[in-house]
Amino acid sequence: MQGVVAAFHEIDTTCAAIEDLKKKRLGDVTVYSPTIRHELEHAIDAPQSIVRRFTLIGGLLGVSFGYWVAIWSSNYWPLVVGGKAIASWIPYTIIGFEMMVLVGALSTVAGMFINSRIPRLTSTAGYDTRFSGGYFGIFVACDGAKAGQAEELLRQHGAVEVRREA
Amino acid sequence: MATIARPTRGVGIRGPNIASADVQLPAVESYEQVDREIIATLGFTKKWFMGLSVSVAAMLIGASAWIYQIYWGLGQAGYEPPVMWGNYIITFVFWVGIGHAGTLISAILFLFRAGFRTSIYRAAEAMTVFAVMTAGLFPIIHIGRPWKFFWLLPYPNWRLLFPNFKSPLVWDVFAISTYLTISTTFLYIGLIPDIAVLRDKETNPTRKRILAVLSLGWRNSDREWRHFAKAYLFLAAFSTPLVLSVHSVVSFDFAMALTPGWHASIFPPYFVAGAIFSGFAMVWTIAIPMRKWFKLEHYITLNHLDATAKVVLFTSLVVGCAYMIEFFIAWYSGVRAEQEFFWNRVFGQWWWAAWIMLLCNMALPMSLWSQKLRRNPTWLFILSLFINLGMWFERFVIVVPSLSHEFEPWQWGGYTPSWIDMSFLIGSFGWFFMWFLLFVKQLPVMAIAELKEIVAPRVKHGHNGGHH
Repeated sequence: MQGVVAAFHEIDTTCAAIEDLKKKRLGDVTVYSPTIRHELEHAIDAPQSIVRRFTLIGGLLGVSFGYWVAIWSSNYWPLVVGGKAIASWIPYTIIGFEMMVLVGALSTVAGMFINSRIPRLTSTAGYDTRFSGGYFGIFVACDGAKAGQAEELLRQHGAVEVRREA
Repeated sequence: MATIARPTRGVGIRGPNIASADVQLPAVESYEQVDREIIATLGFTKKWFMGLSVSVAAMLIGASAWIYQIYWGLGQAGYEPPVMWGNYIITFVFWVGIGHAGTLISAILFLFRAGFRTSIYRAAEAMTVFAVMTAGLFPIIHIGRPWKFFWLLPYPNWRLLFPNFKSPLVWDVFAISTYLTISTTFLYIGLIPDIAVLRDKETNPTRKRILAVLSLGWRNSDREWRHFAKAYLFLAAFSTPLVLSVHSVVSFDFAMALTPGWHASIFPPYFVAGAIFSGFAMVWTIAIPMRKWFKLEHYITLNHLDATAKVVLFTSLVVGCAYMIEFFIAWYSGVRAEQEFFWNRVFGQWWWAAWIMLLCNMALPMSLWSQKLRRNPTWLFILSLFINLGMWFERFVIVVPSLSHEFEPWQWGGYTPSWIDMSFLIGSFGWFFMWFLLFVKQLPVMAIAELKEIVAPRVKHGHNGGHH
């Protein structure tokens, strides 16, 4: 992917550059940071993650399966005890709960992987190993004249390094 | 440095020794320092090799005992009617309990935004995974024919026979296996950004490739962090009731039986509090030497230890209260067998075990009312060993006296652990510490990305609490 990548040392200059890039609409912006920072989240203003939907669906499927397997197997091989229910929902709540947690949590992880597009075993345009260390990074996907404008804008905001990615 | 900051009294409403969301690391000044100092802990040392050798030797003692027991049969363990649950179940409950603090610290304290968790949660999470791996061995050892353990799993065999879902032992299988899976997942998800840091700093190409695969190609992009944060929050939200349910389910192994000393509705909260109590003690056992040997005193500060000491003090009070309620209910119930049993627990056949338990779990932790002792790592380490001992004896006091002193006096008996039992106990510590020591030299023992959240980032204009 073609574009311009810039490395910043300070968070406030990174945020200012992001806001300016969004205003000028020079291309899709990807921000790299060594950790989660609320300042960056506010500047990016991305929509809310949809991982929660995976969590909800996984949890509901898990609890349904937990109750179902216990009730079904009790009815298939009944252990008849006088005065006791063959399928007893109170102890089966434990099975339902554990399955809800198990399937719900694993669905959450699946949701995170799918939405974050990982695992990714190929290199990503615009990534620099400094972005997991002490630097913030901005990648603007653009070409031609827009790339020139983006380079200038990023330099104006105090990027310590700006380069084009082919 | 925070580690040498003296507690001050009467400064505002909350002094610096009060656990709060704003626990800071004043001696940590930049992201680069975090990377440098945490990655430095991965270097091999002579002490580490010695520790690993001792752990592997202890583990081999347990493994040899297991081979011997498989060959000669379960009779080699110290079981003697009516005590048919002994060291294996005691040690199983002990290790499950140890496994509770990790998820409590990483999940529950995360939801409560308790700042002191950040420095210790990775070690505690790893401890949880290895403790549950250790605990999981004991029911398999206890069944005598370990190769049949999969009969407990609900899989569709050719006659569609399933385990009895009304049995507490099957609940255990569900609870422990879910807990192990979720704890491992939680640990790994938190590790992904940190493995990416190691990958980017690595110079050895083979190791770099392995780390690239383990980090799943993590790039620290805003998209990744956004979904990561949400997933982490939901994993914490799932883990919170899970951690409370697991030891409740373990307590049902006892509470569902009509045995004196076991059939009590107080067992689930009593077990959960005990598990957190013992888990925090094990966190001290691990974290206090670790902060010294790895020179991490400015990450695990006295404020952090102080905050954890308050949790230990609180859970000690809860556990002590549960002990007293057990005695009270036995007296108040008017049930002769129950009263006899509790008298026997403290003044009879097993008095020494009960008094070790009461001393280590109720009396010694009261020292933590003193701020000076809460901020004394040496004392906390010594206390942690006493608490570990006391909590093993708590499970001994629950398992053995109840079975040896049931309703019929002609049935009463004793229990003497055999050398096989002792070997398994030693082996379990070897197995646990072997995994932990291997972990600390391969992966960051502190959450690099989360520590960076505490450190103020550099700013160019104005103040952000950072450096200019």
